[in-house]
Amino acid sequence: MNPVIAGITLRQLLSRRRTILLLLLGGVMVLVALIVRLAGDTSRSDEFTAGILANVGVATLMPLVALLFGTGAIGSELEDGTAVFLLAKPISRTTILLTKLAVAAGCSVLIACLPTFLAGMLGAGGLGGGLVLGFTLATAIGSIIYTALFVALSLITSRALVFGLGYVLVWEGLLSGLFAGTRTFSVRQHTLAFADALTDVPGSVFRAELEPLTAVIVGGLVLVAATVIAIRRLTAIEIAGETA
Amino acid sequence: MTAAPAPPPAAPASPRAAAVELANVSRWYGNVVAVNDISFALAGGVTGLLGPNGAGKSTLLHLIAGFLAPSSGTVTVAGQPARGHPDMYRHVGLVPEREAVYPFLTGTMFVRAMARLQGMDPPQAAEAASGAIGLVDMAAAQDRAIGTYSKGMRQRIKVAAALVHDPPILLLDEPFNGMDPRQRLQMMDLLRRMAAEGRTILFSSHILEEVERLAQRVLVIVAGRLAASGDFREIRRLMTDRPHTFTVRSSDDRALAATLLGVPAVAGVALDDGLLTIRTADFGDFTRVVSGRARQAGISIYELLPSDESLESVFSYLVRR
Repeated sequence: MNPVIAGITLRQLLSRRRTILLLLLGGVMVLVALIVRLAGDTSRSDEFTAGILANVGVATLMPLVALLFGTGAIGSELEDGTAVFLLAKPISRTTILLTKLAVAAGCSVLIACLPTFLAGMLGAGGLGGGLVLGFTLATAIGSIIYTALFVALSLITSRALVFGLGYVLVWEGLLSGLFAGTRTFSVRQHTLAFADALTDVPGSVFRAELEPLTAVIVGGLVLVAATVIAIRRLTAIEIAGETA
Repeated sequence: MTAAPAPPPAAPASPRAAAVELANVSRWYGNVVAVNDISFALAGGVTGLLGPNGAGKSTLLHLIAGFLAPSSGTVTVAGQPARGHPDMYRHVGLVPEREAVYPFLTGTMFVRAMARLQGMDPPQAAEAASGAIGLVDMAAAQDRAIGTYSKGMRQRIKVAAALVHDPPILLLDEPFNGMDPRQRLQMMDLLRRMAAEGRTILFSSHILEEVERLAQRVLVIVAGRLAASGDFREIRRLMTDRPHTFTVRSSDDRALAATLLGVPAVAGVALDDGLLTIRTADFGDFTRVVSGRARQAGISIYELLPSDESLESVFSYLVRR
């Protein structure tokens, strides 16, 4: 970790527009939870809350937050040319990458978990038997994996936003519903499995489709592989002149 | 292809080992050769990298900065290979051509951050930053966000950031772009002083006058090749001694043409549609002789214009030699 790079990255990521946009998105989830709580059947509030946290939080908010922070951490800096100010310094590219990844992951965790926790508390009218804390913790882990994935993607293609969105919507959204096998390689399913393992709510309230062990192994592999690939890409990356 | 043997170094720099050394460096992208078998060594003093746009100047600077790997050959900077050795950057200050600088930082914050990334602790960095900002005359705007800077100010804050760790080697890609004439003179003055202290400075430019005013040595790059290198005066002589073409308007074009045919420096005259064109083999001789001959013949010259003075034509002449 390099504190100076961390500081610059933090300011880059938490630009006013991006932060407001993401907080608004989180606010929508909190609002939905509130409406469900006020209008719905209180005897089934745990079930509704789990549904919101899984389908809005884990399936939508978390990947979008991680996508914006992950692709903004270093990819956009390479594009606008400011990355040379970091690369032309006596600092290893591994340190640069790990610092940026850590900061982006931290931002994702914060911006994804805060609304998750609030929506959970409001929806369940309390901690909901470990439901809220379980989902918040699982969302934190999921955000880290997603961020690493999208940082690596931003170093592989300049269209990381498009491909990242494609992965979330098509692979995780569409194909996972049709083919059970694709769920093994879905960060969303990993996160839901973590949430299931971390809560002790009955299966009627919430149940993940993936075994926790599979999620730990595959999710861990994705995290490590994405980080290693990102380091290797940044080390190998070439910056050409504008006229080249 | 290379110009006359390099004259003895004009720089007053210490005669230490070459700070930047390229040996048979080529770089290609697929089938496109951007840099073609270039070798040179630089020690102290200012060297201008001159060439038309798209000639490979930027690629060459990026190779030296370690941002590109040579396809063949070796690039050595401060005694180590330029690529894959981040420690090299302790000795190098780099001013990239691209304009973007973190818009959300103030000038001071940016230069301090660059100093700290060079390994200075916060008090050291603060002192070095205020020194560097003073050198480029940016103290008045140092607490404003860089996003509000003009192009010239941005250029100067980039130079301050490159100087902040007092590097012995400075690489500048088109550093005078966007500067007004006064800023340009100040920057040239600063670079001259830096060079006089023994630094090795390499800057690229597509503007002959900039190179002429600042550089002791020149590397002329055309189409990826080193077309000429050496002392600037030598290159200038090569450029002025090449055949020139002039168009002339006078009181009697026909008589002037006849008179000038007898001048040894004149290689040919042509009179088309009332336009007299003169080709010379020796620019110096011709300019000394032409007015005297005209006076002797009782002809007044109204206009004498060089007709192909574009930098491109000068470059292509150098390449053809």
